[in-house]
Amino acid sequence: MAKILRINTSTRQLKYEDLPEKYSALGGRGLTSQIVFDEVPATCDPLGPLNKLVIAPGLLSGTNAPSSGRLSVGGKSPLTGGIKEANAGGITSQKLASLGIKAIVLEGRPEGSDWYGVKITADGAEFFNANDLAGKGTYEVTAICRERYGTKVGVITIGPAGEMQLLAAGVTNNDGDGNSSRYAGRGGLGAVMGSKRVKVIVVDSQGTFDAPVKDPEKFKAAARKFAKILADNPTTGIGLPNYGTNVLMNIINEAGTLPTRNFRLGRFDKAGEVSGEKLAEVAVARGGKATHACHPGCVMRCSNVYPMPDGKVCAPIEYETAWAFGPNLEIGDLDTVARLNYICNDVGLDTIETGCTLGVLMEAGIIPFGDGQAAIAALEEVGKGTALGRVIGSGSAVAGKVYGVTRVPAVKGQGIPAYDPRSCKGNGVTYATSPMGADHTAGYAVTANILNVGGKVDPLLPDGQADLSRNLQIATAAVDSTGLCLFVAFAVLDNPEALPAIVDMINAQYGLALTTDDVAGLGQQILKVEREFNRKAGFTSADDRLPEFFHTEELPPHNTRFDVKDEDLDSVFNF
Amino acid sequence: MILEVRVFGGLEKLIPGASFGRPMQVEAAPGTTAGGLLDLLKIPEDKVFTILVNGIHAEKGDLLKAGDRVAFFPPVGGG
Repeated sequence: MAKILRINTSTRQLKYEDLPEKYSALGGRGLTSQIVFDEVPATCDPLGPLNKLVIAPGLLSGTNAPSSGRLSVGGKSPLTGGIKEANAGGITSQKLASLGIKAIVLEGRPEGSDWYGVKITADGAEFFNANDLAGKGTYEVTAICRERYGTKVGVITIGPAGEMQLLAAGVTNNDGDGNSSRYAGRGGLGAVMGSKRVKVIVVDSQGTFDAPVKDPEKFKAAARKFAKILADNPTTGIGLPNYGTNVLMNIINEAGTLPTRNFRLGRFDKAGEVSGEKLAEVAVARGGKATHACHPGCVMRCSNVYPMPDGKVCAPIEYETAWAFGPNLEIGDLDTVARLNYICNDVGLDTIETGCTLGVLMEAGIIPFGDGQAAIAALEEVGKGTALGRVIGSGSAVAGKVYGVTRVPAVKGQGIPAYDPRSCKGNGVTYATSPMGADHTAGYAVTANILNVGGKVDPLLPDGQADLSRNLQIATAAVDSTGLCLFVAFAVLDNPEALPAIVDMINAQYGLALTTDDVAGLGQQILKVEREFNRKAGFTSADDRLPEFFHTEELPPHNTRFDVKDEDLDSVFNF
Repeated sequence: MILEVRVFGGLEKLIPGASFGRPMQVEAAPGTTAGGLLDLLKIPEDKVFTILVNGIHAEKGDLLKAGDRVAFFPPVGGG
């Protein structure tokens, strides 16, 4: 029987509940957002006892559906003040699903100064004292847990940034090699976990593909078909497996939409030095890997293993992170990018938010643009808990206020990712309107704007961008519920056979009779729930806007501004 | 006419001496199209998924002009 593990951190009681019938067709983001909507008062303090942290594997996680091991983490975001779902790879989602756990709900807030861990096995769950792990970085915590409980465990943890309840703190878990680098990074959910004084959740289960499937034969046929669709698609079958996500660096640069020097320029002359091609070259030469799977059963294998000069390994360096610490800061050195990435993973910070924050500090003149060593030194302040470190760990909007900077790339308090909204206007619409705050994955219009996937919409013109973003936001909310990696969308957008194959898998697993129309319905329902939570939390259409400078400053080389009309932005959720 | 050409994502391995992203000055006859430039560089058309000319999407049949910054990409994706 599918169940919810409810963990009351105030009373230190754990209990399993049967999954309510109304949640039976939900998973991943659909389930985290619905539970948050149903159980968390929208006006609550995100770091107070009324907020909850909800961790849910996707609907297909724990099966052998290809690339289906994604984990959703949800709650009220301390960074945005709105609802949040952050999505991670790693091995834990499949383990939870294999144990029949549809969601973990962390609630309450304990008194006192102790830190706690929770261990979950097939026999049940229990608290343990984790004071010995407090203050440690995530790599060490994960290594200790793997030593204590075996190398097969999944370790969900926070770093010192989460313990300090800093607003850009993420929740991480590990890949199969024990790298504590698979982050549900965005929106400060690590601070929510820290507020509950839970340092770590250890999932001790051998199972990876053991989630129950009602009709195994039908499932197998659909999964095989879907795997072939992914293998045959040029992006998911060739592009991602060859160079990973950071292969985007050069095409986004050539397209003139690579945010450079805190969003002043659209191209960076050293972009190639921090690109996927360079990464593959260096990683392989140092004995690392240009391609790597973040969870068992992924066919796209878009991660990498980058050995650093100090002997440690940063695995992976993703495009967003390479951008955040590279072009955004005018740093053209991959080893510096890797070091900044590693520190964030260890101290427990979202790399996108932290890159935006360092950009704001450079804008303020606190550290010089292009100065990698100064950026590393500043970032190391976070772990020390100094005033500067706490500012850096609190995100770009806070840093902008502290240092009097108005050029702050953030929407709803969340930093804008690696595509400038003035020359990739579809993504601009998504940044402005997503209930998540500025989030590139929420409606990845780079597809039709830049990559010629799922149609073509001119990235420099305002026309058609609201429709594009709307359709992508609906589709994404649904995909984020399945546990499938969002990158399957590259194939889904271009192959009409793909979505029916996904629906066939879900139907075979759960004994349902969903149609492809139901998938769109699910996406719409999730967005409505999330928007309604935000409305109750006090958000209005005034929050669905980009920062002023995107309207007033032209971005070279195309010299465009963000000119999608407000009424178009306000039409995105007309469904 | 002279064109400034860049290739990425493994396409550089098809051109002797090329490396990804390093601009190549290529002499082409006036009237050369993006597809014609691929022929000149001996890059099979089916290896190329995206063509950007001065940062704007182009098709294989589009005419190039002197000084154009041309970039060729295989299938890429991510996020």
